[in-house]
Amino acid sequence: MLNVLIVDDSLIIRKNVKKYITSLGHNVVGEAQNGAQAIEACKKLKPDLITMDITMPDMDGITAVKNIRVFDKDVNVIMVTSHGQEEMIVSSLKAGAKGYILKPVSEEKLAKSIGTIFKEYNKEVGDSDDDLMDDLDD
Amino acid sequence: MKEKKAGEIESEILLPMLERAISFLTDDMQIKVTSNSAEVFCPNQVELKKNTAMIGTGGSIQVIITMSYDDQLLEKLVEAFLEGEKADEDELDEIRESVSSEIVNTVVGNALTNPLDGTMLTITPPILIYEAKSLFKHKSSRIAAAIVTTEFGDMLLTVIGPKESFANALNFKEL
Repeated sequence: MLNVLIVDDSLIIRKNVKKYITSLGHNVVGEAQNGAQAIEACKKLKPDLITMDITMPDMDGITAVKNIRVFDKDVNVIMVTSHGQEEMIVSSLKAGAKGYILKPVSEEKLAKSIGTIFKEYNKEVGDSDDDLMDDLDD
Repeated sequence: MKEKKAGEIESEILLPMLERAISFLTDDMQIKVTSNSAEVFCPNQVELKKNTAMIGTGGSIQVIITMSYDDQLLEKLVEAFLEGEKADEDELDEIRESVSSEIVNTVVGNALTNPLDGTMLTITPPILIYEAKSLFKHKSSRIAAAIVTTEFGDMLLTVIGPKESFANALNFKEL
């Protein structure tokens, strides 16, 4: 079971991601609404996985990932974002994200992305936007 | 680079968003679009509904994108986002605002292209407008709009430029 931190400024997305994470058998240890809160929560809660929005007030998700990697270089982050532009995906990967889910988010997309990072949770499920990252890797 | 006519960039930005809005409603939200409204027009005036969320773009094109919903349509969208769960009464207003913001964020983020030079455009977090508002085109401003009609009411999409001509609540300011 993974301890997960959810970072998104949208209440409905936090609620739905929490529901999916719980349904997948993992534990939500905290929630944050912007990048600055995410950094503090990450220091305090030491999550196994962070789901991170990009566009947030005060501090965006990419900046937050860069800052978190200063004190936790092995942090596992899945960006959960509406941005479909290739440059945004590349920026996320360069910042240190290990997965990328294009909104609208679903339990299947989350399961696939978690399974890509944590092989022990790898199940055969539907399409995920990790395919976007695979395309970029190629 | 060929110079674009006034309103042409706004229309080119809006068209993929209109297509994504229709697929979002039909495929992701299971809401039937009742008329083929995939047309972009450039009005001199638009009437934004009281349920409106707006996003600004950053980069080589700076415009404001708005998405307005009729009340009943927004309620159906909230239901769809809740996926059959019942929200607590005291958080329903916040959920409604969150859904309104999230849809504009998803549609714009999924469909944003740069017809000018192809470089990446960023988007701001959504801002909500809480009252119906008439928006008039001024000589230095441009408006592209489209209406999607569903079984539960209309969604109005607009792309308004240039962004610096408008304050946060979409009040036009003379430059």
